[in-house]
Amino acid sequence: MMNKVVKKLTAFGLVAVAALGLMACGSANAASGDSESGSSASNNGYRTLDEIKEDGTINIGVFSDKAPFGYVDENGEYTGYDVYFANRLAEDLGVDVNFVSTEAASRVEYLQTGKVDIILANFTVTDERAEQVDFALPYMNVALGVVSHEDNVITDLDQIGEDDQVIVISGTTAETYLTENYPEIQLQKFDTYAAAKSAFENGTGVAWANDNTEVIAFANENEGYTVGIESLGDTDTIAAAVTKGNDTLLQWINEEIESLASENFFHKDYEETLLDTYGADYEETLVVEGGKVAE
Amino acid sequence: MDFVVLKEYLPLFAKAMILTLKIGWMGIAFAILIGLFSAMIKHLGVPFLRYVVSVYIELFRNTPLLVQLFFLYFGLPKIGIDIDAEFCGVLGLALLGGAYMAEAFRSGFEAIEPIQMESALSLGMNHFQAMGHVILPQAVSISTPAFVANIIFLLKETSVFSAISLMDLMFTAKDLIGSYYKTTESLALLVIFYLVILLPVSIVGSIVERRVRYASFGD
Repeated sequence: MMNKVVKKLTAFGLVAVAALGLMACGSANAASGDSESGSSASNNGYRTLDEIKEDGTINIGVFSDKAPFGYVDENGEYTGYDVYFANRLAEDLGVDVNFVSTEAASRVEYLQTGKVDIILANFTVTDERAEQVDFALPYMNVALGVVSHEDNVITDLDQIGEDDQVIVISGTTAETYLTENYPEIQLQKFDTYAAAKSAFENGTGVAWANDNTEVIAFANENEGYTVGIESLGDTDTIAAAVTKGNDTLLQWINEEIESLASENFFHKDYEETLLDTYGADYEETLVVEGGKVAE
Repeated sequence: MDFVVLKEYLPLFAKAMILTLKIGWMGIAFAILIGLFSAMIKHLGVPFLRYVVSVYIELFRNTPLLVQLFFLYFGLPKIGIDIDAEFCGVLGLALLGGAYMAEAFRSGFEAIEPIQMESALSLGMNHFQAMGHVILPQAVSISTPAFVANIIFLLKETSVFSAISLMDLMFTAKDLIGSYYKTTESLALLVIFYLVILLPVSIVGSIVERRVRYASFGD
């Protein structure tokens, strides 16, 4: 009896070691840039500009549930401010575009494993992220905002009580900011925008902290909510990101952004996709043209 | 692999493990009760209730836990029933598990020849005594392997709880990856913590399986 147990334990131990071994291999592969989808990524974990052109299709990671920046419309088509830009990139590159739906928390992973060539999912530029991916020139400004229920408007984070919960989305700048600067605030974390929205509408949490663009859009589109804090922390920029080291693609995107300034592309983008939500007032605050942030 | 990061993350994962275990074991305990009652209702052929039980089992065995959780957490508040995330997790696991456990127990009941019940009754036992002293011990013994497999399955199913904002092991790992991009370290801890939870269940389960099989008749 005892012998059998010992045998079993040994077997389990071996399984555990094997599992860890496999995992170590996995990470070693990732480090050397060998992606699972061998056909879509070269030996560096990313595809250079020429390789994308040769293939004829570019993979771009966008949000599918974050209106009006990246979402799927009633016809099942990807659309929004980010997607408008993504389509233009593909068009000028002369390739087809394949949209890959991403979640906030997995944006870096998608690039590092070569599953997408570009992330255009309202990606705020931060120092931590810049260590993991390469950001192109910015195309939008953003700060954090806090939306709350109309009958209990939060205008200052000090109003949030000990038992109150604030909704954030996992892997966003709002989560990082609140964790670092207001560790005493209880965060209720969700992994998708859709889930956070539903929960907030159901009365979970006293407030929802997110990019101010997102919370303003939410309050405009839904009855009964007010953005009590329009700007929290520093103003950041939003930019396209490519896999670390993919210089040819990065350089091409930057040149493209600079040349698009001559036709006021991002203003046109704003008017096509964001005007309905934000009105004309936010145009100059949000849009960054030609990669130059106005000070 | 950065061991400083591993050490830093350890308390977060330990906290997540406690939540996973808490919800997991509560859900499983209720699942066993629901399963046992459902199987007995079906086995004894209780009028009307047996149909209710059949519908319940098929409904919950044939829909993913994620869908059930969405329904409980996001759907019920729309009709005015507000329950918190932890309760949703326990309830979802109990209902899903109950359906699986019912099937496990049913296979146990079915393996026992009707003649045993008839013999027990003819010896002067009433239905409850026959059930409690003759049928149930054998049925439980026969269904133990399926029962242990279900417990492991249910504990693993807790990994979808992130959808309803519960900071279980899976969500903790995803959250840390999304915030600090230490993918390898987070995933390594995730695997280790799941093994820490599940290996003992496996081992104890196989020992228990062997012990209870002594009770089986005719082996």
